[in-house]
Amino acid sequence: MDGTGLESSDAPLSPETSYDNPFPKVEDESKEPPSVPPHLLQRSLLNAQQDEWDSYVSKPPHVLLNHLYIENGEIAKSVLALGLTHRYRAKYVTVVLYKPIPR
Amino acid sequence: MDVEDRDMLIERVPVTGLYQICESSVDGIQNMSVADLDASRYHIDKFLSNHTVYEILPESGRVVVLDFAMPIKRAFHVLHEQGIPLAPLWDSDRQQFVGMLTPSDFISIIMEIGSQRALISEEELETHTIAAWKAEKYRLLDSAQRRVPFQYVGPDDTLKDAVKKLLHYHVTTVPVLYFAEGEGERPHILHLATLSSILSCLCRYFQHSLDLLPLLKHPVGSLPLGTWQNPSNGRLVVLGASMPFSTALRVLDQARVSSIPIVDENGSLIDVYAKSDITALAKDSIYAHVQLDQLSVEQALQLVHNGGLSGAAPVLRCQMCLRTDTLQHIMERLAMPGVRRVVCVEAGSKRVEGIITLSDVFKFLLF
Repeated sequence: MDGTGLESSDAPLSPETSYDNPFPKVEDESKEPPSVPPHLLQRSLLNAQQDEWDSYVSKPPHVLLNHLYIENGEIAKSVLALGLTHRYRAKYVTVVLYKPIPR
Repeated sequence: MDVEDRDMLIERVPVTGLYQICESSVDGIQNMSVADLDASRYHIDKFLSNHTVYEILPESGRVVVLDFAMPIKRAFHVLHEQGIPLAPLWDSDRQQFVGMLTPSDFISIIMEIGSQRALISEEELETHTIAAWKAEKYRLLDSAQRRVPFQYVGPDDTLKDAVKKLLHYHVTTVPVLYFAEGEGERPHILHLATLSSILSCLCRYFQHSLDLLPLLKHPVGSLPLGTWQNPSNGRLVVLGASMPFSTALRVLDQARVSSIPIVDENGSLIDVYAKSDITALAKDSIYAHVQLDQLSVEQALQLVHNGGLSGAAPVLRCQMCLRTDTLQHIMERLAMPGVRRVVCVEAGSKRVEGIITLSDVFKFLLF
């Protein structure tokens, strides 16, 4: 292979004709967004009732990793809970941040 | 201490048979070979120096973080609902962790509410943010030069570094933070490290090689650790159950102890009220509605038991032991999550003789 190898491996540009999609109309926005995949709802990040021993043992399902969960209105309407589970080396950490919602 | 004696029921236990207890030096030890002490300390030091904080992270852990701009009242409720006594504080503007909200903060706030009841309205309580509270607190501490910068450890720090930090700054918990490459100064939180988790790691490590630690076979009454009744120096504080709760708060705040054994009229131990139990007052906003000097210690304890959401099961709250129990026995108790202290009682009567806390044990085990 010669020095132009990198250029020839770039993806080709999209054909001009594919740029003619119509603008989304208002009716499109009234459709419901796709529903949340059920495997993401397996666990509640806010579930504090788990025994401390349990949490030492049960790995979170890997599909949940790096997804941001939002839960509001639990404590009060003005507090939002954001949760994320991520992996650090061979261990998993779930961080739940409680934020006030500015009025 | 600043609290007057007549406000407290201080137990004076006869000390026949109890050895002189010194804080940290080897001089006060009798009937114990110095070789045992040195050998055990050597192995423990080796363990702590060769293992990192990463090893005490649970395989799947959970950390609750509070935003610095959250109103204190909400924060109180969140901690109560989650069953945790404290949380690290995150400043979104600066994208940094800036401190911890601890039971000591709540105790100070509740005492302030008590004394300035007329001056703080309900709405002010709703909007008073953690940031505002801490700013006020730091102003006071700065003037007394008692302010301590925010402390944390990294996952690759040794356990020995973590223990030294925890002991030096008199804190129970230190956040474990790591800074990802390429993200500059923005930290990620991994865990809240405590002496308890380090101790349980240590106990697991040595569980099959206890011969390396001959010190652990000694009865705890013969070792210079913990706080004991001593006629010349009544440092051990206990409170009667019928005492007003405001006295308990004052003692926790001024005596700089983290818990008080609660005794009945005979001096027998019935429970322990710890600083971390303060979050039980968040239930139904009791702290806002009840005059604290009309609440008795017994009633405050009842709130904790009714709370049900607190982390430790009832049996873990009040760990008791005898003076003749071995150090190993005490350490295994303290290694249980949720247990931070063991109260030493007289067999039968359950009269309080002493208290041994996690920090006492670590101070004793380190060189």
